[in-house]
Amino acid sequence: MTQDVRDLLAAAAGLYRDDPRASAVLLDCQHRLEQPLRVAFAGAPSSGKTTLSAALGEWPTRALRDLVLLDDPGPADDFPDATVRLVRHLEPDELAAAHPPGGSPFARQSAVNSVLVLSRADEVGAGRIDALLTAKQLARRAWREDPLCTGFLGVIAVAGQLAYGGRSLRDDEFDLLAAFAAVPREELERYVLSVDSFTDPAFPGPIPVETRRSLVVRFGMFGVRLALTLIRTGCDDRVKLSAELVRRSGLGELRDTLAGCFVARAEALKARTAVIRLEALLAAQPRAGGDRLVSRVERFAAAAHDFRELRLIADIRGGRTALSGEPAEEAVRLLGAQGTAPADRLGLEPDADPGEIYDSGLDALRRWRHEAERPDRPHAERTAAHVVVRSAEGLLALFG
Amino acid sequence: MTAPAWLEVLNETLDACRTHGRADLAELLRRRRDAPAEQIRLGVLGFPKQGKGYLLNAVLNAPVCAVGDAATPAVPTEIGYAEEPAATLVGRSLERIPVAVERLTGELGARPAGTLSRVEVGVPRELLSAGLVLVDTPPVGDPRSPRTAAALDLLAEADAVIIVSDATASLSPAELALARHVRTWCPHVVLALTKIDASPGWRAVAERDRAMLAEAGIDAPVLPVSAVVRQAAAKAGDADLNARSGFPELLTWIAEQAARPPEQSRALLAAVGVRAAAAELVESLRDRADAAGQEAGLGQAALLQRAQRRADDLRRQNTRWQNLLSDEITDLLSDAEYDLRERTRKIVNTIDQTFDDGDPAKVWDEFAPWLDNALAEAVDTNYGWLADRAEWIAQATAACFGAQYEGALPDLRLDGSGVEGLDDVRRPKIEKFKVGQQAFTGLRGSYGGVLMFGLVTSLAGLPLINPVSLGAGAAFAAKTIKDEGGMRLQRRQAVAKQAAQRHVDDVFLRFGKECRDSIRVVQRRLRDHFTGLAEELADELTHERETILAGTAERERRTVHIRREIDRLAGLHQRAGELGTIAGRTTRRELSA
Repeated sequence: MTQDVRDLLAAAAGLYRDDPRASAVLLDCQHRLEQPLRVAFAGAPSSGKTTLSAALGEWPTRALRDLVLLDDPGPADDFPDATVRLVRHLEPDELAAAHPPGGSPFARQSAVNSVLVLSRADEVGAGRIDALLTAKQLARRAWREDPLCTGFLGVIAVAGQLAYGGRSLRDDEFDLLAAFAAVPREELERYVLSVDSFTDPAFPGPIPVETRRSLVVRFGMFGVRLALTLIRTGCDDRVKLSAELVRRSGLGELRDTLAGCFVARAEALKARTAVIRLEALLAAQPRAGGDRLVSRVERFAAAAHDFRELRLIADIRGGRTALSGEPAEEAVRLLGAQGTAPADRLGLEPDADPGEIYDSGLDALRRWRHEAERPDRPHAERTAAHVVVRSAEGLLALFG
Repeated sequence: MTAPAWLEVLNETLDACRTHGRADLAELLRRRRDAPAEQIRLGVLGFPKQGKGYLLNAVLNAPVCAVGDAATPAVPTEIGYAEEPAATLVGRSLERIPVAVERLTGELGARPAGTLSRVEVGVPRELLSAGLVLVDTPPVGDPRSPRTAAALDLLAEADAVIIVSDATASLSPAELALARHVRTWCPHVVLALTKIDASPGWRAVAERDRAMLAEAGIDAPVLPVSAVVRQAAAKAGDADLNARSGFPELLTWIAEQAARPPEQSRALLAAVGVRAAAAELVESLRDRADAAGQEAGLGQAALLQRAQRRADDLRRQNTRWQNLLSDEITDLLSDAEYDLRERTRKIVNTIDQTFDDGDPAKVWDEFAPWLDNALAEAVDTNYGWLADRAEWIAQATAACFGAQYEGALPDLRLDGSGVEGLDDVRRPKIEKFKVGQQAFTGLRGSYGGVLMFGLVTSLAGLPLINPVSLGAGAAFAAKTIKDEGGMRLQRRQAVAKQAAQRHVDDVFLRFGKECRDSIRVVQRRLRDHFTGLAEELADELTHERETILAGTAERERRTVHIRREIDRLAGLHQRAGELGTIAGRTTRRELSA
């Protein structure tokens, strides 16, 4: 796919040889194919973009190494390959505003590059201790049921402040929290009711008001209450507490989604960006002899199977197909949701024997071909099965 | 008992709203007028997820409203006093379906959208016992959504409004706009700043909100509250904690609203409603007047400018075409005469040559038709050329008018009455050459009259001698000379020469005059035609200007009408303001026309 795009860009470079600005755009497109995937954080002011991208960015894992996170990409000429869209509430007005913009038919058909995040999930339900669970349920329900969430690869509830605080939890902070947790619960209760009560001079113990204030500013009242509960129930050192706070914040889920939907498809998404920019250039500055290139771009767009796979993965996971249970799991795996290598797609060990891979692939192809041809199934279901068949065929083609 | 003053002002404003096509405003005023006097309605408004439900539940110390992730009803909930808790769903056609209070949220979720008009809840709370009704509204959002409309509908009957905004962020522009709208329609407004328990920066947010409201001229106190703290205080029976929740202040404010004397309250509400409606109506009228004025200003200026440009063009055109025409005609006159003279001179030369050498008695047979033809050709050519020049002049003159000429006069060929005289000469051939016949007739008496007469009459049926060339005369001269000599011959030659020359002169004179006349005719026709065209264009322009100016007058008349209406509404606005002052509130800005 990347090679096809390179060829298209080279042909375009020939066409626009005498135009320095167009040439610069095409050169940039070419360079971008070599560079890491660019993921933009977008959202209204104070939706938590900076906090969340910082929490993610400081994550020292392989999974996100090949990403560049763009916190608040300002100018329109900065073309991100993928987008994390933040909303504070899953309300119709906010969702409508968060909808990815249209574009060319190809851009819309291949719009498998954004994830919706319900940021500040700790504010859900008036900050009750089960706020994060409620938020996760809300997010899952919205993804499955709300038509305004259809375009996204996932809807994930994340408490950005908690994630960032948990990731960067310091020893002194842990010691403070542990000291508070040691105070009998009944005695402490009224002091963790609100920010004002937590910073009340009457607070038991010698900790200065300013220290308490900085703690509540960093973790939020919800974060402080959660940390105290966690320490009391067994997270008795900084590392454990940090891990548990991060786990509950929803950051891990977001990271996995980014890794599975974006990083694993980095080549396809970068190719997509390049093709969309090329399409825009061809449309804005038509050239004699450009028609052939335009139809080549169209052929490329029509043939790009990766985007269909991503779209179907999102639909199956979002519950928008009739598939469920084990067939659904197998389908998303074959579509490459757990890795695009043949062994990943077939759910085999990475070092599996090629013969085993081939047989397993053939078996999957036969079964899904059968699904795709069953006349008693609705059209949409057969179409979905066809996409899986095509993925299995592609997998077997590697052995040709 | 006479109608109270506020009712009069209100009715008058209501009529004005109807007259100017603002049935929505009229309806608001009507509901304001007909609102039941025994109730005090307190509305709660806010954007989604600001904690409206929590706030109301905390005010009532009862879980009446849906909170958290539960679906918010799309219709208002009216909470009033009842000795036993009770809930009623009121349908679209006002049918009443009683449901248990604890099942209310579930029942609401089960109803399809659009089947209910409101929900009524009764709770045994002392706060409500004097007739206070709290109205929970659907969240405000997209200004075009029916949910927003259902929420703002509250303003028609609310005596006071609590706007709910949380302390996690200061007022958004949309929230500020909501506050301004609410304050315009309702005199008593408070901003409840919720979630202060969870927001470390709530004091700063409260300060910013106060400053923003003050700057926007919205008279509304900001009361920070925490439903969580209030709930904990209620559970623990802790008065100190309750004080920290901020709710005592809010409840005091609510109690003040409930304690207002009804008649005073009604007058004030009417006054505020009138002022809001009048202001909104004036705004829409002003917009209309401005739009009309702007359109007029823009359009009229452009149109008049264009008309002026066209008038200037027309003036320039008139000078140009008149000069062109007279110059060209003068040139044509002299050119035509010169051309004709030149042609006849050549003929005369040939005549001289012919009768210097030839014997008229022998050549005349051939000579006479040749002469006729030579003259006819000269005249024909000259006339053809003249006609071409005349046509060219007509076109050149027309070109002075540019695009305006196209279609203004489709046919300018010179085949009208003035040219017909020339037409006879244009196709003279022999039989039509009357001038020549007359001339020849005159010759009869002097020399070879009979012969010539016979010759001329016989010519009618004969084929014409081949194309008249000037060399022809010389040809028959060479052929006939030497046959005869002496005095007789010389005399014959002199007479023939004279006769022929006189004939040529005659033709020249006659035709020359006709030619000049024709050119004059052409000149007159062209002048008349183009003068007519210029006048037509000038008339058109005058008419256009008149239309433009008449349009302006009409627009001005309408604008004056709108201004008068604005003045009238400003008067109502002011009267309502005075009523408001009497009712116990000072009012500020007045409308000006």
